[in-house]
Amino acid sequence: MSATAAPGSARTASIEVRDLVVRYGAVAAVRGVTFSVAAGEHVTLLGPSGCGKTTTLRAIAGLEQPAAGEIRIDGRPVFSSSPRVQVPPERRGLSMVFQSYAIWPHMTVYDNVAYGLRVRRMAEAEIGERVRWALDLVQLGALGDRSASKLSGGQQQRVALARAFVFSPAVLLFDEPLSNLDAKLRAEMRLEIKELQRRLGITSVYVTHDLEEALAISDRVIVMRDGVIEQIGTPAEIYDLPRNTFVADFVGSANLIRGRRRPDLEREGTVVLETAGGAIVHGAAHGRRVGAEPLFSVRTVHVRLARERPTVAVNVWPATVRRRVFQGDFTQYHVEWDGRPLVVRTVATDPVAEGDVVFLSVDPGRCVLLES
Amino acid sequence: MDDLARARRFRPGPRLVSLIVGGVAAVLVLYPIAFLIQASLSTGDPQARPPEAYGLDNFADLPRYGHIFANTLLVAVAATAMAIALGFVMGWILSRTNVPGRGVLEQLMALPYYVTPLMGALAWSLLGSPSGGFLNQTWRALGGDGHLIDVTTPYGIAWVMALFEGSVAFVMIGAVMKSMDPALEEASQVLGAGRLRTMLRVTLPLVLPGVLGAAIFVFAEMLGSFSAALVLGLPSRFYVVTTAMYQLVSQYPPQFPRAAAMGVSLFALMFAMVYVYRRIVRTGSYATITGKAFRARAMDVGGLRWPLLAVCAVYLAVAVFLPLVTLLYASVQRLATVLPRANNFTLDNYRTALSLDAVRTALGDSLLLGLGTASIGVVLMGFLAWMIYRSRLPGVGAIEYVLMFPQAVPRLVFAFGMLWAWLIFPIPIYGTLWLLLIAYLTVFLPLGLRTIAGVMLQIDRSLEESAQMCGASWGYRMRTVTMPLLRPGLIAAWLLLFIASVRELGASILLMGPKAKVITPTIVESWFSTSSELTAAMALLQTLAVAGALVLLFTLARRAAQHPGE
Repeated sequence: MSATAAPGSARTASIEVRDLVVRYGAVAAVRGVTFSVAAGEHVTLLGPSGCGKTTTLRAIAGLEQPAAGEIRIDGRPVFSSSPRVQVPPERRGLSMVFQSYAIWPHMTVYDNVAYGLRVRRMAEAEIGERVRWALDLVQLGALGDRSASKLSGGQQQRVALARAFVFSPAVLLFDEPLSNLDAKLRAEMRLEIKELQRRLGITSVYVTHDLEEALAISDRVIVMRDGVIEQIGTPAEIYDLPRNTFVADFVGSANLIRGRRRPDLEREGTVVLETAGGAIVHGAAHGRRVGAEPLFSVRTVHVRLARERPTVAVNVWPATVRRRVFQGDFTQYHVEWDGRPLVVRTVATDPVAEGDVVFLSVDPGRCVLLES
Repeated sequence: MDDLARARRFRPGPRLVSLIVGGVAAVLVLYPIAFLIQASLSTGDPQARPPEAYGLDNFADLPRYGHIFANTLLVAVAATAMAIALGFVMGWILSRTNVPGRGVLEQLMALPYYVTPLMGALAWSLLGSPSGGFLNQTWRALGGDGHLIDVTTPYGIAWVMALFEGSVAFVMIGAVMKSMDPALEEASQVLGAGRLRTMLRVTLPLVLPGVLGAAIFVFAEMLGSFSAALVLGLPSRFYVVTTAMYQLVSQYPPQFPRAAAMGVSLFALMFAMVYVYRRIVRTGSYATITGKAFRARAMDVGGLRWPLLAVCAVYLAVAVFLPLVTLLYASVQRLATVLPRANNFTLDNYRTALSLDAVRTALGDSLLLGLGTASIGVVLMGFLAWMIYRSRLPGVGAIEYVLMFPQAVPRLVFAFGMLWAWLIFPIPIYGTLWLLLIAYLTVFLPLGLRTIAGVMLQIDRSLEESAQMCGASWGYRMRTVTMPLLRPGLIAAWLLLFIASVRELGASILLMGPKAKVITPTIVESWFSTSSELTAAMALLQTLAVAGALVLLFTLARRAAQHPGE
């Protein structure tokens, strides 16, 4: 048996969530959320704690009872407020990896992984084969007999993964599965989960508050805040073209620049504004409607910092370095520009001293117009 | 899809079962209480069932028994003060100082609870009755005059009760002291406050709510306590409410309505106490419990360690060692006396006790009942605990409230309600072991629930949810995940229920019939009607039987676990 081929037929399903509302008493945790996940797609719900992402996931799983809306899995309604449908979690054909791992301490690793197969009354021989396949896939092949309570955090996480996909569920749900791991292990597991997703080709919905995680493993990212969706898009879209200040700010650090529109300086596809301090900033509209007071988002890594004036036509300004913070992979400069602070991150090895006058420049395409 | 369709038909299963079991349990609790109240309002012929007329005459009559209520309060206040002082000192020594052997001592502190007030009262009666008490005999032999101590006084009774309740107070106060973040004290010291100032301004205010809560809980227990007051107070006609009720019910003709009115009053008082206690626990300014992990810091008390160790040793000696040795010593004598004489020693008391039919059947019945109560109780209470703390079914909050009710009702008062209730029950269970079984299951509901809930609340909900996500049905989840994880809690609850049932007195003394005797009331009867030496032998035999039964059960269980499937 090849270690990569999934035994049995891997059927996978689409998910549609429409106008979902979940309430805890008087508080609405999710307030009308609509999105869909195609069969085989990997979607991540991203947002700060309390934004309703976990609640949405648990509603898909069936562990929370929504107040209104509809959830369909492969076109079949599993929840609907009218007509009343509520399919219990155990019959939705899904699987889930929990934040706390939820590994049963009274069973061995093997028994943990075999659980879903035994529930499905599979023959013991076939169970053995599939458990070995799953454990090999998460690189725990040798630990089957180990008691689950004697595992490290990373190993528990792997068992939880194997247990979740071993019975070929139609959809895999991940509830912040890596948040209890340390940074190094988290980066490692991130890659493994991505690898696993691609191999198994199972539809997955992933919940996290960690941007890097979301960008790394998803086909599409859904950014949520206060129980509503702020933006849906591919990782590149979310990062490069944030819709509003919340997304720009939450998805990686960004500088926000507001000013009065200067249509006289604009050309096809560009937007130009003049700040209160008089700086002229050229940016890209990306097809968005331009108001009288446009707002640009500029990623801190997209601002270039140089001692000499660069030889570009637009978006070059002098600035003064106020603070230099060395952070290892990059150096963060807090500069005074146009009478206000601006943050610049650079990987340049040649440090600029605090108090020096420097030149900042930005590619106009990196000055992204936000929706008003 | 056949599978799914079949499963769907059983979908209302858990909900329906929960409703029925919760409802039955609630009826078990409320049915006797309703009859207690009905009886207390009966103003016609005291013997008439159902009552001929209703009124408040019985309550209006209560001031006649004012001295009994005063006695009850006196004993309860004195006993609470002593028990809390004991609990506070022990709690402080064992959780905040580096006294030697802390771990072992902490385990031993549970022993007084297992000695029970009845054993303690019997032993202390032998030790401290004014004329024949061993301590007073010794006092006179040493040239003293009169008597040194007298345990038949209100303070003597309170002393015996406090010795055993001190163990409960220790557990409650010790937990509060342990849960206090030492950083709070350290912060005070870092800011320049001395040790005394820190103690007075930081430590004391922080543990005060916990101590107050423990005091109210203990006080409520004391108001309803029965056995010590019965054994020590009855001979000198010193009554508290519970013993007075017992007297009213067991005299001829019995005064049911008046006893019921007393019971309702006591119930109201205790209910108020438990209510206040729960308020304190819930709202309590418990800044002490932070949920953050920290190690309780033990204060280095230097040379004071040995005197503090001595304090603990003395408590254990007085509450456990002395009573047991006294009973043992008395049980092997013809006539209990402090000075050993060769011709006074005998094993006749044990021979007699074992040959008495009443004792043998009572002991057998008690063990049988204990087995039944514990086994049925664990299943019932385990299910109820799951329903209350896990199922998220509507209305479980109210059910929890009702099931915790027996905690606020003295067992004697509760049994009185049952007596009245089950006399008219169409199925003739009155005077049989079945009635006792129902009584035990009802009065021990809070004990079992609390023990199981303690473990259940530690089990993360996601452990059950992940089984659900693997596709397991409710029954399958219960069998493979919930029950195995709960096992330590279920075993602990089984043991507690077994021990508590075999030694139960307050409910049994009213409810046992001539053909269904149990051991603890038999011991009390023997105390009042035969010799104290024989009674001591019976009390020790009971303890031995409990211990023996437990050892036997554990051996069998272990053997069964080692050879599964045989």
